[in-house]
Amino acid sequence: MQPVDTVNQVFTAIQQVKSNASAFCTNLFPVPQKLQNWVDHEELFCELHSGAAFFFRKDRDFWRLYFCAANGEALKREFMALPDVKIKSMVMDLIERETASDSLLPIMKSIGFQLYARLCRMARPGSPDSQPLSSGDLQPVYAGNEDIQAVFDILSASFDHYAEQLPTIYEIEAAINNRQILMIKHVQTLAGLLFFETQGITSTIRYWVVAEKFQTLRHGSALMRAYFATHAAIKRFNLWVIANNQPAILRYQHYGYTSDKLVDHVLVNEVIRT
Amino acid sequence: MKTVAEILKEIRPEFDFATSKDFIADGMLDSFDVVTLVAMLDKNFGISIQGVDIVPENFKNHETIEALLRKSGYKQ
Repeated sequence: MQPVDTVNQVFTAIQQVKSNASAFCTNLFPVPQKLQNWVDHEELFCELHSGAAFFFRKDRDFWRLYFCAANGEALKREFMALPDVKIKSMVMDLIERETASDSLLPIMKSIGFQLYARLCRMARPGSPDSQPLSSGDLQPVYAGNEDIQAVFDILSASFDHYAEQLPTIYEIEAAINNRQILMIKHVQTLAGLLFFETQGITSTIRYWVVAEKFQTLRHGSALMRAYFATHAAIKRFNLWVIANNQPAILRYQHYGYTSDKLVDHVLVNEVIRT
Repeated sequence: MKTVAEILKEIRPEFDFATSKDFIADGMLDSFDVVTLVAMLDKNFGISIQGVDIVPENFKNHETIEALLRKSGYKQ
């Protein structure tokens, strides 16, 4: 495993694999700025093989694994030759259409990865008729730099760190600076938040949570309504939810979200399972 | 053979790509869509878009995508 020093190394590796690919496959959807952040924070490593490239991102106490390969056969062959997969905790996301006929799941299972969770993407169109906050609601506000640790703590306590791509401290700091976290506080305690990413006319909810002791106070709906009210120009709202989290799915359906048939299979290796 | 406009419509039927000059900045294509688009362009136009070209600048609008097709060897 070698450290990645520049983003261009990643794209060059993809090019090398892709140039001779008969059925190119990947779970890496490169966003240059995100890759740059990983490189800057010395989190990204790689291993280049003939017909496949592997990228490892350090995340808390495990690694997120990304690959690109010339075809499924090369992927399986080169995976078997990766020594780190047998000794380090690894998590991999496979994003596919629900109806994909060329799923890579069987290959991943054959090399020892097993399904840990399944997420489905939900979406709703933009709507001009967002409901205003009622007078009894506490007004959500944007999180500030003094809230970084509290945001990190509530996300760590409320979401699955393998399945839900929890942000690092520096990612939370960037989100706060970009006004992407709406929150409600009771005195000095963070009661709930809605963390989103907006790009042009699309906005994605990354996390929506209310701490247990505040869950009867309608903070969740206040956060959601504030979110929609501040995103009147958005044409499409997205989110990912764990596919068997029925209470969450029902809540999102209440706000008009429906499945858009894209799934994320979260796979873990044997080191994590044991 | 499908046109670029038809392929974009297939990937994101809810958006009108004719109204945008920057599909990425306008949030009409995300990173998953871009990789999906690359695979569909490769197959549809019989080319292989290079890894170093899978960057947002090449997927901003119809003109940049068509320039990318030409760069990747597609001749109309």
